[in-house]
Amino acid sequence: MTPLRDKFDALLRSTPLRLSIALVALFALVSLTSLGASFLIIRDSLDQTMRIDLQQDLAGFQAAPSANAVAQLITAEAAMTNPERRILSFTTADGRHFGNGFISPAGNGFRVMSLPEEEDLSEADYLTLSASLHDGRLTVSSSRAQIEDLGELFINILVLSLLPTTAIALAAGLVISRRSGRRIEAIGQTLEQLTQGNLAARVPKIAGRSDDLSMIAGQIDRMAGAQQSSVDALKQVSADIAHDLKTPIQRVSVLLSKAREMPALRADLVDVLDKAGQETDGIVATFQSLLQIAQIEGGSPKNRFKPVDLRALAATFAEVYEPAADERGHKLIADLPKEGTYVVSGEKGLLGQVLANLMENALRHTPAGSDITLSVGRSGEWIEVSVCDTGPGIPAEERRNVLRRLYRLEQSRTTPGNGLGLSLVAAIVEMHEGKLALEDNNPGLCVKIRFQSAETR
Amino acid sequence: MRIMVIEDDATTGDYIAQGLREEGHTVDLIANGRDGLIQATTTDYEVLVIDRMLPELDGVSIVRTLRAARNLTPVIFLTSLGGVDDRIDGLKAGADDYLIKPFAFGELSARVAALSRRPQLKEQESLLKAGDLTMDLMRRKVVRNDLEIDLLPREFALLEHLLRRKGRVQTRTMLLEAVWDISFDPQTNVVETHISRLRAKVDKPFEIELIKTVRGSGYRIEE
Repeated sequence: MTPLRDKFDALLRSTPLRLSIALVALFALVSLTSLGASFLIIRDSLDQTMRIDLQQDLAGFQAAPSANAVAQLITAEAAMTNPERRILSFTTADGRHFGNGFISPAGNGFRVMSLPEEEDLSEADYLTLSASLHDGRLTVSSSRAQIEDLGELFINILVLSLLPTTAIALAAGLVISRRSGRRIEAIGQTLEQLTQGNLAARVPKIAGRSDDLSMIAGQIDRMAGAQQSSVDALKQVSADIAHDLKTPIQRVSVLLSKAREMPALRADLVDVLDKAGQETDGIVATFQSLLQIAQIEGGSPKNRFKPVDLRALAATFAEVYEPAADERGHKLIADLPKEGTYVVSGEKGLLGQVLANLMENALRHTPAGSDITLSVGRSGEWIEVSVCDTGPGIPAEERRNVLRRLYRLEQSRTTPGNGLGLSLVAAIVEMHEGKLALEDNNPGLCVKIRFQSAETR
Repeated sequence: MRIMVIEDDATTGDYIAQGLREEGHTVDLIANGRDGLIQATTTDYEVLVIDRMLPELDGVSIVRTLRAARNLTPVIFLTSLGGVDDRIDGLKAGADDYLIKPFAFGELSARVAALSRRPQLKEQESLLKAGDLTMDLMRRKVVRNDLEIDLLPREFALLEHLLRRKGRVQTRTMLLEAVWDISFDPQTNVVETHISRLRAKVDKPFEIELIKTVRGSGYRIEE
């Protein structure tokens, strides 16, 4: 969709403009009704007047004593009468015709009719009144042009009265909607920032305003403030827990090291101490990952992001893991572009952690002989990194679960790991506004991650 | 070497101090931040090991104050906070290295050694030697016992790094940082496999093993 179209749609969505359009429609309806009613009343009264005039005319002629007298009267009066307004017509019993036009409707009484084509006088209809008189037929007609013009006049009045109203209402609607639109947009942007984790975002203040929008803005600010202080408190608590728990863990690992270094230890005791040491390392790793996930999800500020070339980073990790993969009988394939920049905005250490976790998952959960393919590519404004293996894969219904913290598949209960690797990957991807997808590699698992290219951001 | 350790937890502090003393260093152990800062400004130390969270004055403030006073003694931060931000904050404050608790003593000891005797990279030095092995940096050649050893570029870099720090332990994370420029804690034996490939070329065909494994710490080439 074009930006202009977007703007137009946004404008149509604004409440003030909608209201003003509705008001204009209402005005138009009311004016139409009242003008229409006036039109009908005036038209009827004009018609009535016309009929009375015609009856009086007819009565005047009926007073004449003979057909000849009527003919003379008609001729005299017709000479002074414009046939476009009034037509007098008298046909005697022997077929002679007098008057300024010839209209002869069948039957007596009122009729509305138009002139025959050849009587090129007026396009308007005529109201005719006919009567038999001295064996002849007398018809007096009056042009209805006046009544017909009345319609046009009323339409003009309608347009003239509606135009300024409409223009003023629409203009006011536009101005108000643009002004409130800017403020609504500011509120929207603030909410967007808050959603993205910038809890310090506040709605910009407009001095001297205290309407409903300012009230909502104030409420949003208060909500954000409350949120921020609770997140800060949570962070503080996490840091305190980290400190309070890590110190004893450090002590345990110190004591274990000391015990391990004592002279003349029994061999089985050495084994026990080594195992205890490994378990402590496991606790530390789990703890560290949980803290890291919490910290990343807690909305770590993104202003420290720097350009990171994913092609170079992937090449480094492929190289680092290649001998380890080889030793386990895996084939590590680095499907990387030969050249070009694949730069995203991010934290290199964390993006590296993503690659490391995915590679280690693939190494850990696939049997010897499986292929592991690390690839980097571009599709439009997205840069895609994927780690695909030909191992047992993850059943479709389990793919969502493995992103949960500490979740482990039944089939991998016995392999080392704490079930936090993919949760950490998901948190880091989310922090970088990327997308994570687990797909079937037929056979095996394909983990695909997309980040927005830094050039198009 | 004279080292000061500022650590409020007695068990950890004693362990670090004792370990460093066993390696032949003179160690002062201080338990609170303010005393530590006073001690650091009045005594000439070669390395400071500072916990980040301390009573009275925290680690970041100590380092900032020292750096503002143009005291450039190398500092290693010890911390319970392991987030990326914390690491960057710590290094920004002027610390030279950063260790997340709990850590193996070998890691600390190797990093203290690396800081105290920062390698003097002599540009004109083009030959590195260890025993009967010679690395010619200009011609990118490694010769041992008159036999030329063919190394891949990254194997060459790994060997060069160990040769330049002859006699000092390099931990796995230090090697990842120095040779590949990535900092993470691998859960698999990635560094070991690289070392074993390097050994297959450099050590296996010969009688004497040059690259030694230091248990619980890392690797070292003997002087």
